[in-house]
Amino acid sequence: MTTLRPNATLHPNSILDGPADHIPDETDLIEAAMRWHFDPRTGSRFWLDQADTLGFDPREDIHTADDLARFPNIVDRLRYVPAGDLIPRGYAGQDDAVYGVYDSGGTTGPPKHVVFMTDWMERLLVHTDQEMDERDYPRRVDWLALAPSGPHMFGAFVRESVRRRGRLGFTVDLDPRWVKKCIAAGRADQADQYADHIVAQARAVLESQDIGVLITTPPLLERLVRDEELHRLIADRVQVIEWGGAHLDPDTRYLLRTEVFPHNRLVGRYGSTMILASAIERDGLAPDAPCVYDSFSPYVTFRVVDPETGEPVPYGSRGRVVMNHVSKAALLPNNLERDEATRVEAPPGRPGDSVADVAPVAMFGDSPVIEGVY
Amino acid sequence: MTAELIEFDALGPSGPYRSRHRLPITDLAGVPLAALSLVPSLYVHRAIAALRAAEPLPAADRLAALARAGEAFATETIGGLSVDAYVHAVSRISGMPIQIVRHATETTRRALLDAGRDARQARPVASVDDWHDPATRGGRAVWTRRGEVFAVHASGNHPGVHALWPQALALGYRVAVRPSRREPLTAHRLITALRAAGFGPDQIAYLPTDHTVADEIISAADLSMVYGGDDVVAKYGADPTVLVQGPGRSKILLAGEDWHQHLDTLVDSIGDEGGTACVNATAVFTDTDPDGLAAALAERLATIPTLPPEDDRAALPCQPTKQAAALERFLLDHAAGTTPRLGGAGITDPVAGGGVALRPAVFQVDRADAAQTGIELGFPCVWVAPWSPADGIGPLRNSLVLTALTHDERLLDQLVDDPTIRNVYVGDHPTYWMRPDVPHDGYLGEFLMRTKTVLRD
Repeated sequence: MTTLRPNATLHPNSILDGPADHIPDETDLIEAAMRWHFDPRTGSRFWLDQADTLGFDPREDIHTADDLARFPNIVDRLRYVPAGDLIPRGYAGQDDAVYGVYDSGGTTGPPKHVVFMTDWMERLLVHTDQEMDERDYPRRVDWLALAPSGPHMFGAFVRESVRRRGRLGFTVDLDPRWVKKCIAAGRADQADQYADHIVAQARAVLESQDIGVLITTPPLLERLVRDEELHRLIADRVQVIEWGGAHLDPDTRYLLRTEVFPHNRLVGRYGSTMILASAIERDGLAPDAPCVYDSFSPYVTFRVVDPETGEPVPYGSRGRVVMNHVSKAALLPNNLERDEATRVEAPPGRPGDSVADVAPVAMFGDSPVIEGVY
Repeated sequence: MTAELIEFDALGPSGPYRSRHRLPITDLAGVPLAALSLVPSLYVHRAIAALRAAEPLPAADRLAALARAGEAFATETIGGLSVDAYVHAVSRISGMPIQIVRHATETTRRALLDAGRDARQARPVASVDDWHDPATRGGRAVWTRRGEVFAVHASGNHPGVHALWPQALALGYRVAVRPSRREPLTAHRLITALRAAGFGPDQIAYLPTDHTVADEIISAADLSMVYGGDDVVAKYGADPTVLVQGPGRSKILLAGEDWHQHLDTLVDSIGDEGGTACVNATAVFTDTDPDGLAAALAERLATIPTLPPEDDRAALPCQPTKQAAALERFLLDHAAGTTPRLGGAGITDPVAGGGVALRPAVFQVDRADAAQTGIELGFPCVWVAPWSPADGIGPLRNSLVLTALTHDERLLDQLVDDPTIRNVYVGDHPTYWMRPDVPHDGYLGEFLMRTKTVLRD
């Protein structure tokens, strides 16, 4: 059992429960969240069970986003623990406290489960709404999302965004696990057919509906524009093309912005189930500038580190991305992602790092082909 | 010290394109000499769409432009590189002996000059080139393209590979070349020359990519030609839109012939072109005295000197040290159980300026069907095998070239009939013998063209 004792007084959650449009101070948020998650009356069974093994007392020792590096990376355990154990006990008795349970990609072993609380979804949507306003996303237009629903958080997030600021939300579902399975098994032709199947469904919507916002992945966007007719439809009608879910190399991004869609807005989104959120491309970047993402700090913070030492790399250097999520709803600290990125200074006064030119960890060349003259 | 790198830009529909993603091209010592712009798949698809949308030049203009480009390729300064600077850079980067690069430059010049004539060798005699030909009144076969865009995954083993695909331009195809990352210079020089000579950016493209994008070029083009080993054959062999230039595994058979009379031809077949070509002999089969033959080949091949590739007397290919060590290990592992006659203790020999020469190797196997006789490596490396009529032609199959030193007419019938033997040279002819008007692995035109009937009033 835990050695933690209740706080002398159950803290008023003025920080954790503050207005959805208020961004708390970094230290205030993190200290309040530690008190919440490691108080036997309010913390989740999952974290209270871990408390003994940490070797430090989060309520005493964790104050800033940098301090979160002291936590072990627990995300692999999310494949196996009962997901209900992730819900902080402090939500007990509240109706509609849980928004839903969602999975990670699930391509490497069993998927990781996370619980999405309703208050977090509200906070995230208010923030996203502001970000979209800042980037001139139109209001009250129809959207088309080529995005995964089902176990994946992103489908629900798009649906809520459309409800908040759009009109009709058209969707074409996709199952990224199946695609990745096909590719891993060397069945590229099946992955190809599947992509064609998605594009055909997207075509039907684009041809008949007036779509103002298109949500898609970079590979699907590339396939859409291979067809000159679809390219023209998107270029003429769609105001914002938001891409995410897979990386987009800087050369392709430049071509898309300058040659393919010079008059449309292209906005990148970098998300992870393990932060219960996503980061949107910094506004106002030139086509040739690196694609920078600022996180929803202090709730979500990034660090870019040398994976060997765990130390931050210098600004402008490449390293692995470490992600943290700290809110009333969840604590998911110090998760070393598989992505690489360039470390960029966060906007003034914001904790953590911003990340640029995110890409999967580089594969080191082809396996050497030895036999043969070619 | 950092010398100025040569930039090899992609050559796409709107001209040279310098990507952010650039591959350093290093010489044998690992010194970066150039940077190669690798294009993403979006660029590939847009470039190929532009090629497809373009009209070919008129036939006469194509041939004139090819001839001009060949002349410029072999004699002029292109992209800041003189001919001498170009051949020197190729030899330092690819390790190919400089004289072979010079010779390939001249071969390519002539191939471009004659590309129209050579391409037309494949035209069925009953057909005409153009539907306007009076013969189509009353009905006639017309030789027509099977597609519009032809893609080439070039190989980097020998600069001479670029002498073949220009025939597709002669036939009116628009062509996209993905160069080898091992030697991207020759294709860049040639395509720059073709553009200057009149093939516009919508006629010919230079599209370097990393391996993840390579397939996109093939899927986007109508027809493709791909060089590679067994893996490439397995991947594309069943695709009717892909012409695979697979392993050469060229061989020599001596049946009822005294090898002493043919030693020069044998040695040249193994070692000419530095042993890097698909037409170099990989195995020699003899029905008399394999021991003596193996010893004689070893003695002759051992006299080839180790020299850096830019030396005019160099005849052996060189490679970066690490890459060569892997090749050496592969050879020695696979030679287990055979009798080494040359190179049994290793084949690498350091050269001045960095890297190592790949020295000749001669291994003797004890049966005609030994698996090693199919191991083709990019330097003078030969497997000597015994053969008797009882072995049949089985061990001789799967050959790009088979030189048959025999008078056995029945055996020759079988060899010429065998579909896996692509060329048969009867008598004292080296396996590397080539002439552009005879097929190398079939005529390229057999793949690129078809006939259709045109009947008009």
